[in-house]
Amino acid sequence: MKRYAYYLSCINESMTKEVDRSIDLWQKDLGIELVKLHESTCCGGSNLEYVSPKHFALVNARNIALAEKLGLDLIVSCNTCLMTIRTAKKKLDESPELRKEVNELLKKDGLEYKGTSNVRHLLWVLADDIGFDAIREKVKVPLKNFRIAPFYGCHILRPSTVLGKDDPLDPTTLDQLIEALGGTTLPYEHKNRCCGFHTLLVAEEESLNVAAEALKDAIDISADFIVTPCPLCHTVLDGYQSKALRQANIQKSIPVFHLSEMVGLALGYTEKQLGIKRHIVS
Amino acid sequence: MTGATELHTEEKRDITLRVYRFNPQVDSKPYFDDYTIQIEKGITVLRSLNYIKEHVDASVSFRAFCQAGICGSCGMRINGISKLACTTQVWDELDKCREPGIIKIEPLRNMPLIKDLIVDMDPLVDKMKHYSNWIVSSMPESRMGMKEFLVSEEEFQKYDKATDCILCASCVSECTILRAHKEYVSPAVLLKSYRMNVDSRDAIHDIRLGELVKDHGVWDCTHCYRCQETCVKHIPIMDAIHGIREDALEVRGVKDTSGAKHAEAFMADIEKKGKLVEATLPIRTNGMVWTLQNLLPMAMKMIMKRRTPPPPPLVKQTKGIKKFRELFREMTEHVKDEQQSHKK
Repeated sequence: MKRYAYYLSCINESMTKEVDRSIDLWQKDLGIELVKLHESTCCGGSNLEYVSPKHFALVNARNIALAEKLGLDLIVSCNTCLMTIRTAKKKLDESPELRKEVNELLKKDGLEYKGTSNVRHLLWVLADDIGFDAIREKVKVPLKNFRIAPFYGCHILRPSTVLGKDDPLDPTTLDQLIEALGGTTLPYEHKNRCCGFHTLLVAEEESLNVAAEALKDAIDISADFIVTPCPLCHTVLDGYQSKALRQANIQKSIPVFHLSEMVGLALGYTEKQLGIKRHIVS
Repeated sequence: MTGATELHTEEKRDITLRVYRFNPQVDSKPYFDDYTIQIEKGITVLRSLNYIKEHVDASVSFRAFCQAGICGSCGMRINGISKLACTTQVWDELDKCREPGIIKIEPLRNMPLIKDLIVDMDPLVDKMKHYSNWIVSSMPESRMGMKEFLVSEEEFQKYDKATDCILCASCVSECTILRAHKEYVSPAVLLKSYRMNVDSRDAIHDIRLGELVKDHGVWDCTHCYRCQETCVKHIPIMDAIHGIREDALEVRGVKDTSGAKHAEAFMADIEKKGKLVEATLPIRTNGMVWTLQNLLPMAMKMIMKRRTPPPPPLVKQTKGIKKFRELFREMTEHVKDEQQSHKK
């Protein structure tokens, strides 16, 4: 059983509880154990970085240091948390002065940022540590009847200087996972594009236009559902779907699954167990 | 066949350039023309297009000048991604083709089309004018020519990268929000605005910043990083966008716009709870009236599905919040001290 520290994303603790619930169901099936970091805090969600770069470094040095204390890599299942914490890690690793300043504070909490734990997305663990061949062998209910539109979301891909796992403009990891689970992955323009989440409250019309274009693209290729490794993308593409499509005058709809739910389905768990019934679009 | 000949044939291939064609004065709709030509390894997309124009079809229209990645004229979408034709090797594009051996060439997006691969740059230039993308000298005219403006190395570092921009408009073409709303300021204009605003010789920082925080300005960027990822000069454009936002929060305060209020909410929640209080984020960003008008129908659906975020009292504080808060507040003191010493 390979162990990892697991970062608790704010959105998975509130609106998209089904993400952690579904991972809890199948983690042992795939030979991994995720140790939840109940002391971790909000990463700042791609905003704290410019509100206060110093607090941004402190908060995320602490998040990573909690994993380092356990001697484990930090696993994240929200794209924006991933990008945010990795950005902080890069800044800390590149600046001894910043590391020193932050560590002087962390010392008072019995913590130290050393830079020894890697920060990775759950999708990367599935791809690199467990491996698609091993996953293929564990599949109980192949997704063979499903034509699936992978929607990567931005912050698992870009900026590539911080993420670096996939080609930021032509990713394949999620496609490979879909195929390992027995599904058919569909090529379409929006698979590596944006969902519009980060401007929903500031420029709603623009955000909904962005979401509608992505949804329309997936509908046009006759996908059975969209799958995303990011709960923020899910929130827009599922929660705001009817509003976005109404604004774009599109009558159809399309279900949107979390990565963790798609894995759970293929491993034999029911929609009810996985929390799929909590989605807005069914 | 000898080894040398094999190598020779390997390095030369028939390749098709599938070129977007549209002359609004003649054509009712756009179409693609396929030009299959023999291309040697080492040839750029621009040289291939020049060959087609000279030897196959003189009517194909595109802009190009320096052929060396300096002038920024030959921006176009090659296999779907905006880049310069003159610095793009045909060979490098072969494994990116949707159909083997066929390279798709299209005009830049998010700008009006003039003909074939030529787009109208005027809307971009108009935005550069609107946001005063130049230095207005802080030196009185009477002193001009009498004294040098000295710029420190430290200051120059702030905009060194931004000055690499050649206005090729690749970032404009790839911008998510510009595609969603044509009035959006656009990444290139934000980059230039940042570059001017951090220049100590400039006199209109506050006026420019005032324009940047309005509707369709800096707060509308959705952090997709496509601009940065496709920048032909590898400029960290998002650093500039974050830089403007950081400046706006410092100079204009955290209650200035919905964008500023939204960003500040993260800071406040982390200090208070260690977690984001999502339930009140729309209200804190846009006020109660907006929230009721815009989000009530969706909130009802979410209640039915039991996916509403918990109200503030039910958001559990992070374990160890007291100690965390002490560190957080101590960092606030560090930041204040730093700001004080900068002012001195």
